[in-house]
Amino acid sequence: MNKDEHFSEEQLNAFVDGELDPEEKSRVYNQSAHTPQLDQRLCQQRKLKELVQHAYNDVPPAKRPGGSGFRRSSPFGRALVAGILITLGAALGYLAHAPTSPVAVPAARAPLVELPENYLLHVTSGDPEQMKAALEHARYLLESADEGEFRQVEIVANERGLDLLRRDVTPFALEIRALQENNVVFYACARSIQRLEEQGVKVALVPDTRQDYTALDRVVMRMRDGWKYEKI
Amino acid sequence: MPRSIILGISQRRTFRRLVENSRERLYRMAFAWTHDPHLADDLVQQALYKALNNYKQLKDYGAAEAWLFRILSNCLKDHYRAKRDTICSDDVVIADNVTPEHRTEEQQLVQKVRGAVRSLPLAQRQVVTLVDLEGFTYTAVAEILEVPVGTVMSRLCRGRKALKDRLIDVGAATEPNRSAQLKRVK
Repeated sequence: MNKDEHFSEEQLNAFVDGELDPEEKSRVYNQSAHTPQLDQRLCQQRKLKELVQHAYNDVPPAKRPGGSGFRRSSPFGRALVAGILITLGAALGYLAHAPTSPVAVPAARAPLVELPENYLLHVTSGDPEQMKAALEHARYLLESADEGEFRQVEIVANERGLDLLRRDVTPFALEIRALQENNVVFYACARSIQRLEEQGVKVALVPDTRQDYTALDRVVMRMRDGWKYEKI
Repeated sequence: MPRSIILGISQRRTFRRLVENSRERLYRMAFAWTHDPHLADDLVQQALYKALNNYKQLKDYGAAEAWLFRILSNCLKDHYRAKRDTICSDDVVIADNVTPEHRTEEQQLVQKVRGAVRSLPLAQRQVVTLVDLEGFTYTAVAEILEVPVGTVMSRLCRGRKALKDRLIDVGAATEPNRSAQLKRVK
């Protein structure tokens, strides 16, 4: 008969995971010193844990469309992390005011005296009403700029929101053109495009639409630059 | 009142450090859950979006790490819901379709272990990887996955038993000395 029969698998798991209380831990230590079977079971548990850790020490990088994937130490990854860091510093105060859906009336917000005046609007919804709200909000932002102020506005679209910028799908081609003529820049998420193309969907974008690796990259970059971010 | 006033400087530093370290770790975890680099990257991005937009919900900065992984877990749930899987996402098992191409002994070991992890139901896979890769406590895993601690323990137990059945000879096969089997890998 094994002397370690009192220790269940759950107890041994808890032991190797450091979840046992000191008293029970001592009991396992003491008994394992005199019971080879228990000692072997513990070693197997530890080995299993280390095998899992070993198997995921280096995971394959994400393959980004149009560029190499990020790895643990890649410049892109570091830049993105740095971007998020700086972004958070700038955004912590602002995001409290940022509407998440649908577009809020800017006049209802807290005073924006200390905040920058450039805007990045992020469209993720395929709902035409949401798209229309984003375009109207962009126009409002341009029109509400102070005289002499050069306000920049960008609209980035991903996921279902990519439909806004798909030439054969968008119901707003004319509105987009009009905004482009007023220096609004539209960005499509290359990852979302890639995903659609993997599903066999051919994606054609409205003229003069630019692409970024991902919408997140654009968001992070612009927030790092001090732009205001609004998710539609 | 602007949140920048509400949050103390130390809290903001804590949150910055958290985010600084989070992306790679979230990606590794997402990959361990899905074994799909594309999907893992998408999930991490979704999680970061949600974190950026919803961190006012974070009340306890001591639990910030678990909060991020919880968002990631919910993103994975949403993914399976969006695919309208007819089976419970907790039971999702990914096919082990590793091609039998020639690999080094090291690669073989890694692929064998990943294949074993991949063959676990998602619920067990999540618990095993959260505990083993991130070192989360059982309580933290319970909060991340929104299940009782007892469920975490039982899933961990079943998951490790399944892994043991598949892997316990792996080390022996790569080490000629039986007595060396129980030594640390690294």
